[in-house]
Parts: sequence; C-alpha cells; structure tokens
Amino acid sequence: MATEKTDKPDRFDEVDWTELAGTRRRDLSVNSLGMIATTLPLVALFAYDWRFVGEREATFGAVGLEADWSGIDFMFVFTLLLFCFYLVLPLYQHPRMTRYYWREFKRNRPAVVSLGWLLVVFVGGLLGPLVLNAPQQDVLAGHQPPVFLSIDAANVAQCLGEVRGGRCYGTWQYPLGTTRGGKGVFRTIVYGMTISTQIAFITTTIVAAIGVSVGTASAYAGGWVDELLMRFVDIVLSFPTLLMFLLILYIYGAGLGMFIFVFSLFAWGGTARYVRSKSLSVAEAAYIDASRLSGAGTYRVVRRHVVPNTASSIITQLTLLVPGFLLAEAQLAFLELGDSELPSWGQLISAGRSDLAFAPWIVLAPGIVLFLTILAFNFLGDALLDALDPQTEAETER
Amino acid sequence: MGLPRYVAARIVWAAVVSLVIVTITFVLMAAAPNPAIQEAATQAALEGGDPQEAVERERELRGLDEPLHVRYLDFLTGVYTLEWGWSEHRSQPVTEALSEGLYYTAQYSVPWTILTMLIGPLVGVYSAANMYSWKDHLATGFAFFGYAIPNFFFGIILLLLFGVWLDWIPVVYNTDVAVFSLENVRQLAIPVFVLVTGSIGAIMRVSRNESAEFRNADFMKTAKAKGVSPLRAYAYHVMRPTLVPLSTTLVGQLLAIFLGSSLLVEVVFGIPGLGRLTFDALVAQDTNLVLGSTLIFTFIAVIGNLLEDIVFTVLDPRISYDDR
Amino acid sequence: MSEHDRDPTPDAETETRNDEPLLEIEGLRTTFGTDSGTLVAVDGIDVTVRAGETVCLVGESGSGKTVAVESITRLVQSPPGRIEGTVRFKGQDLLSADEATIRSIRGHEIAHVFQNPQNALNHCYTVGWQLVEAIRVHEDVPEAAARARAIDLLDRVGIANASSRFDDYPHEFSGGQKQRIMIAMALVGDPDLLVADEPTTALDVTVQAQILDLFEELKTEFDMAVLFVTHDLGVVAEIADRIVVLYAGKVMERGTVLDIFERPGHPYTRALLECLPGRGNEISGIGGSLPEPTAPPDGCRFAPRCPHAIDACHRDGQPLETEIEPGHSVSCVFYREGRDSSVVSPEGPTGVSSDDADEEARSTDD
Repeated sequence: MATEKTDKPDRFDEVDWTELAGTRRRDLSVNSLGMIATTLPLVALFAYDWRFVGEREATFGAVGLEADWSGIDFMFVFTLLLFCFYLVLPLYQHPRMTRYYWREFKRNRPAVVSLGWLLVVFVGGLLGPLVLNAPQQDVLAGHQPPVFLSIDAANVAQCLGEVRGGRCYGTWQYPLGTTRGGKGVFRTIVYGMTISTQIAFITTTIVAAIGVSVGTASAYAGGWVDELLMRFVDIVLSFPTLLMFLLILYIYGAGLGMFIFVFSLFAWGGTARYVRSKSLSVAEAAYIDASRLSGAGTYRVVRRHVVPNTASSIITQLTLLVPGFLLAEAQLAFLELGDSELPSWGQLISAGRSDLAFAPWIVLAPGIVLFLTILAFNFLGDALLDALDPQTEAETER
Repeated sequence: MGLPRYVAARIVWAAVVSLVIVTITFVLMAAAPNPAIQEAATQAALEGGDPQEAVERERELRGLDEPLHVRYLDFLTGVYTLEWGWSEHRSQPVTEALSEGLYYTAQYSVPWTILTMLIGPLVGVYSAANMYSWKDHLATGFAFFGYAIPNFFFGIILLLLFGVWLDWIPVVYNTDVAVFSLENVRQLAIPVFVLVTGSIGAIMRVSRNESAEFRNADFMKTAKAKGVSPLRAYAYHVMRPTLVPLSTTLVGQLLAIFLGSSLLVEVVFGIPGLGRLTFDALVAQDTNLVLGSTLIFTFIAVIGNLLEDIVFTVLDPRISYDDR
Repeated sequence: MSEHDRDPTPDAETETRNDEPLLEIEGLRTTFGTDSGTLVAVDGIDVTVRAGETVCLVGESGSGKTVAVESITRLVQSPPGRIEGTVRFKGQDLLSADEATIRSIRGHEIAHVFQNPQNALNHCYTVGWQLVEAIRVHEDVPEAAARARAIDLLDRVGIANASSRFDDYPHEFSGGQKQRIMIAMALVGDPDLLVADEPTTALDVTVQAQILDLFEELKTEFDMAVLFVTHDLGVVAEIADRIVVLYAGKVMERGTVLDIFERPGHPYTRALLECLPGRGNEISGIGGSLPEPTAPPDGCRFAPRCPHAIDACHRDGQPLETEIEPGHSVSCVFYREGRDSSVVSPEGPTGVSSDDADEEARSTDD
C-alpha cells in the first residue's frame, strides 16, 4: 500500500512490516517520546500545585506570576499536548497524506472558512487571556456602545466616547461595547473563547478515550462482555444527560469541571458503538490475520490497526459532538445555572437580555459568535465526513 | 421471534433502562446531604437547640435512619406508584404540578413534533431529488442555520423583533386563552417556529443523505421502468426506505432537543410548562419537584426510545427480531 | 463509401414475418458527463428487433450493453447521461417523445427485467404491492382485480402458493424467485418487447436454466419480442434468433445464431467463442482489457487487444460493417475491400469466401 505510486493517500491502515517481521523491540515513536517528555513536567507541576500551593495562592506565585491553574487548566494543557503529538505532528510526518486530505478538504469552501474561524477562536482562547486583562466591573462605564455605533445618551451613566446630538458613541477602549455592569463585551467574548476551547478539547479527549476503549473491548472480548457493554451503551445513549447534570448541579452544585465531566461521560455511546462495529469489520480484514499470525497481540492490533482505521471517523464524530457541548454550556450559563464566575458567552447573553431593546450588542455579539462557532463545527464535521470517508466522495460539493 | 414477543422484549428493556436511571438518581440523592436536614440543623442551632438532635429527628421523620436497601425499595415503590411527594414551592402534589406543566408544554410540543416530522423528511427528500441545485443549497443552508443557531438566542431575537418592535405577538405569555384559539396560535407561533428551525435541520440532513442513496437504487430503476412517475417514485420508493434509518435518529434528535429546548424556550417566552417548572424547582430548592421533573423527563425519554425501536421494526420488514 | 454500408434493413428472404421492425435503434450514442471528461458508453449502434424474435446483445462487462438497452426507454439518468440518435418503437421515436408518452410505454409496451434481482425490488413493500403498483400505474383497475391478476402472473412464472406469498416481502424470497417476480412484473402490461438485461447472471446455474426456459415459454405465450443482454454465449446459444456483438460501445458483428457460432467473422467474436467451455481458451480469456471509455482508441476499438491488428486497424474510426453473407455483417478492416479476411479466420468462413464477402461489400456499397 505504501508503495503505491498513485496519488492516493497512505491510508492509516498500512501494515507495519517491521512489526510483522517479528521485531519485538518496543521502540517509542517520536510522538510518544515528545508526549512523555512534556507530560512529566506537567504532572510534576500539578503535583506541586496540589501539594504545596495553597488553595488561595497562584500556581506560579513562586516565580512571581499571578496565573493560577485549576484542574481544568491542567487537563486542558494535557489534551493540547495529546492533540499536538498525535494529530498535528502525524500530519507533519506524513506530508503526502496531509496534502491529499488538504486537497480534498479545500474543495469545500465553507469548511475552509469554518476552519479559519475555529482557529481564530482557538488562538483567541489560548492567547487572549495572556494578552488581555479579565473583564472588570465598572459601573460607570456601563452600556457603552460598540465602536461606530451610538446609543441614546440618556441610557448611559457616563459616556466614554464622544457625545454628539444627544447620542453616545463607542470607543476603541470597548470595541464591542460594555454590559450594564461595564464589562467589556469583547474581552468577555475572548475569555469565553477560552472556556469554549477548553470544553471542546477536554470533552473530546474523554469521549474518544472511553469510546475507543469500550468499543474495542467489546469487539475483542465478544460474548457476554460484548452484550453487556453494548446494553450499557444503549442506556448511555438514551440517557437524558442535561437532566442528570441538572440533578447533580442541584444536589452538589457544579462548575465547569463537573459540566465537562458529566457531559463527556454520557456522550461516548455513539463513538463506542461505531468503534465496535468498525473493529469487528477490521478484525475480519486480511491484514489483521497477517498481523495475528505473526504473533502481534491484541493490544498491538488495536493500537496499530483498529485505532488508525477508525481515527478519521472518530474525529468526524467528535467534531459533530462539540457544538452540542458548547450549546449546552451556553444554555446553562444563560439560565444562570452554571458557574456564575465564568465569563462565558451564554452568561453574556443572559446578562444582556433585559437591556436588549436599547443595547442589543450585549446579546447579539456573543450570540453571533456562538452561532458561528457551532456552524463552523458543523461545516467542518461535514467536510471531514467527505474528505475522510471515500464512500461519500461523490458528495464533496455539499 | 415474532413481532409481539419482540415488542414485549423491548418494553422489558425500557423498564430496565428506566430502573437504571431511577437507581442512579437514588444513589445521587442518597449520597448527598439533604438540604432539609441541614436546614433543620441550622434552625435548631438558631433557636438554641441541639443541632445533632434536630438532625436525628429530621432523619427519622424522613425515614432516613432506615437501612439503605429499605430506603431504596421505598423509593422505587414511590416512583413507580406515582407517589412523588409534595411540592413545597408550589404547595401541591408533585404529580399535579407536573401535569399542569405538561399541559402547557404539550401545547407547543405537539405542533412542534408534528411539523418537524412532516417537514423534515419532505424537505430532505426534495433536497435529494434536486441535489446540487439552488433549491438543495437553499434547504441545506437553512438546515445548517437551524441547527447552528442557539434556540434561546434565536428566541430572544425573534421576541424582540416581532414582540417588541413589530408588536405582532404578545410579549407575555397568557395562560388564560383557550388551547384552540387564534390567540394561542399567535403566542405559540414563535416558540414553535424556533423549535422547528432548531430540530428540523438534523432531520433534513439525515433524510437528504439517506435518500440520496436510495434515489439511485436499483429499485428506483425498476419503478421507472414500470412507468411510475418521478413524484410517485420519490413519494413511495424513496421516502419509505429513508424513514427507516431516519426513525433511528429522529426520536433521539427530538428528545435531545426536548429537555434543553423546553427549558430554554419556556424561560425565554415565559410559558409555565415542564421546563419552567424544573427551572423554578431548581431555583427554589424544591427537592421533590426537582426529582419529579427529572423522573418525568426520564420517562418521556425512555418511552420515546421504546417507540422509536418499535416504529423502526414496523418500517423495516427486513429486520430480524433476533438481531437486537 | 456511404453510411448505409451497415444498413440493417432486412433482406426480403430473411424477413418475411413482418414488414416493419418493432424496434429500430439507429446511431444510438449515450454519453455521460463526468469529472474526468465525457464517458462514451454507447457510440453509435444500430439494432433492430422484429416482432416475436429474440435478439441478443453480447459483449464483455463494460461494453455498453446495459446502457444501450436502458437508453431505449430513457431509463438512463439524465443528466449526467445524454442520449442521441433515434429509437423507433412501432414507428414512434422514443427519444423525442414527451415524458408522459414514454411513461405510458415503459412497463406497458416495453418491459424491463434487470440484472440483479436482489435489489430490483423495494425492500420496504410486499411483492404484491409492487406488482399491483405496476398494474395500476397503467390501468385504472380496481384493487381486487389487479390483485387477482398479479396472483395469476405470480402463479404463471412459477411462484408456488402465489396467493399466500402475495403479501410477503422481497427478502423472504430467494434470488431466483425474485427474478421470477421481476418477470411477472414485466408481464403485467402484456408487453410487445421485453428487455432482459443479464437476467440470469446473478443466479445459480440450475436456476439460470429454469429462468431461461421460462423466458422461452413466456415469449411464445405472450407473443413478445425479447431483447436479451448477456455476456454468456452459452445462454445466447439457447435462446437467440439473432445476435449483435458489442465491444466498447460499438457493434463488432451481427448475424443469426448460426452465423455467429458457426462462422464468426470478427476476431473479437472468435475470441469470445474460444472462451466457451470446451473451446480451448476458457482459462486464459482474452488478453488485455477494455479501452478507457473516456478516451477510446482511434480505429477499431478491439485493435489494441487484437492478435491480427495491422496499422489500418488503428486509424479512421471503427471500420464500417461489411455484410459477408445475408444478415451477417462484420466491422473489421480485413473484410473491407482489398484485404484478405482469411487472416482473421484461418479456417476460412464456411459458405462465403473472403472474395465473395468483398463482392458483397462492394455491391452493398452502391
């Protein structure tokens, strides 16, 4: 397969001939080495934070930085590392395949734009908090309009910009205006990007981990284990997740961490089901037999063949799952049932609701950002579906 | 195994699923400190009594001093005999409060569900029949818009537009109007529209992609060779097989939206339905009502999934009852 | 040289039953617009079917047989398909007829039986429903009458317990039974022409024979002409009156069963025949593969695979058909004027010498 001279991609399903030849050395790939090399300091830092840094102290207080990392931040960095070493780096390592996918992918114009938008959200979420200070309450600066727009001066306590003809004009200090409390809408949105990015990365990692494990375990164990696991998946799939979260929220109270935990814990059903059926069909394929005959263990088969073969579809599924999480978070924040400390988009929409008639930007700006992000994920998922699944090649245009 | 036995098996399975969820609910409740007991302790402390004693008394009063399995069995009996307790916040039995909520929820949910199930597959198949034409692109664009725009955001915007600025619809939901009246249609039109827009997209996409497969199927050629008109061919030969895979996603899609949407839409539009009830119960710390609404949404989900399974088998004659 | 060199107009002595052919296909060309250029599936073929006769279209898979017969009643999806030429059925041009007319002919006067019975029936409806639909699309008969007729037909094509199996779903029938049902469905309109596209290919050998027998019986019983598409010369020998050999969208040779089997003229026909069991070449098959349909070679389509190909074979398009004996014509340069046809038929065509063939060609040229 790898020797094919055609322009076809090196599909992930290449048979690893060195493995088949019986070399039993367990060489760690560059990816795994990098992953370990970066994860260890992270774990160390986490241990340090957990053991030695006080509850109220900043994680980096000892070196004079104010940044305080929570469990979610550690988890987030961990998933980012995973993402770098097992998704971005492989794409770099297989330029031919990457080029092929890119060629397929860029035929879908909306998807390219979507990817661009998601990159903006990602970079904004990653770097924004480092560059911008967190939005601060400033009652005097409430209801400032966005730049180029104006508001009746009667609605503003103190106009920071120009006042012309009884109307207050926006300034660059608050490019998207401010809320009633005087929080900058733009900054809140940027901080909201961080939350959305964290949700997207952490949930997908958990969902993928559980889904792949349960799916492959089910397929390879077979028999009653398979039956039991799949019945369990049935339950998970018909589980009213939001409801359970509300119940947990009611009983224990819940922040972003609990949100991510609960939602990803009940979202892996589809992935597990898919991985199982794919593993079963992969297991029937000839090259697995070849691997088996040459003595590769189940773990190797799963690791080398099942996971790579299903990777593309799993990524697609996850892409389509993320908007659901973002929406759920926004909904809860809107209902003020989430963590009220978090400057998320839904909270901003909720905050601006009562002032909608005269200060619509407070609702519109985060609403549109949320809408675009969900839309982008959907377009992207759709395009990935086309680019990665040769069976739907005919539908690249949609 | 014939159809009746299959249906029976599915019903048993649905019961098992509901039991599992109810059990999880119980475990969650049992593992947490009961706010009522905390309250009793605080009360006792404030009044100068012994908080410990007050806690004991309260526990006894609520039957919490019983062993866990007894409480579990009591809980199960209560749940399945519909003895869901008293809502302190509403000052009425939980079941009564829920049925009142259901009354208002049904008023927009029924038209919403019917419209979604009618329009979704129709537009999807139409889109597939005109694939890659401007009609298809328009429908696809609408589908994407629909499932990308957050319901509550869309609702707020439409309420502002039609309620506040254009004054076409009432801003405040009026519970006094008759169910089948023009007034009611007017005040529910926007909520239903918002919900249909949100739920129809996914169904349109699924039916479009599924029917794209069938429109080039061999049996379509057979139908054409028989002299069947394209309209009839699509209406019968494409629509029907499309409904089979659709039926497996339809209920799931609708249910997934149902809870979130009813919560959000009812809060945005001020409809005193189940979602609003749940929300108020959460805010008012009314444990029995929170539990009750959890249960009713759970049962709706379980029954929905059961119906989906049964509809699926009825629609697809090929399914072997032993398979699942 | 005139275009009418390959004129399929029948000679007086071979055609006595009917003056006007039931179906006349002339210059049929079906193309598909694809991403990688225009795909020419059928490239200007002529086929004539007279009332009551069985004509076989023969050729390898991919030679355009299916597209050719599906072009007759415009079953080919269009776009991307594009059908040119003329198809006259009882004197009416089907390619220019309006949708309503063509629909009234489909399944009524011209019926189709397809290759793969597994998927030809809609899995969501009972076979009875689908038969009744076929009847009531064309005739305004009550449900009960349509049902009775459908059961009769099922019974006729050999479905046991037809009335009780009427309400069964397709998946409850075997492949052979499904094909019988498809045949019954084709018969509902008492068609004049039955187009059978490889109806036995997907079936077991034993079932194949039964289905072929059924075709034979029904053909006389319903007084139909049959246009039979197959790649299996064994089947052809059993049922055909006349044969048209197709290769890569072009007609290579045409003639009666005897002509083709006893005195094959075209190297391609000979190669096909050699692939029959007991003819020595069944294992090796024909070397090479079909040309790319988006970029067919100049000259004879078969030339790249032909063991006898000379320079002349690679230019000037597909050679015009030369009538080497009445009703038997070959599209090969070796039968053209001034060439020695014994090159391609070493044992020499019995009956007609190559010189005679040239004579013949010359005479029809005029």
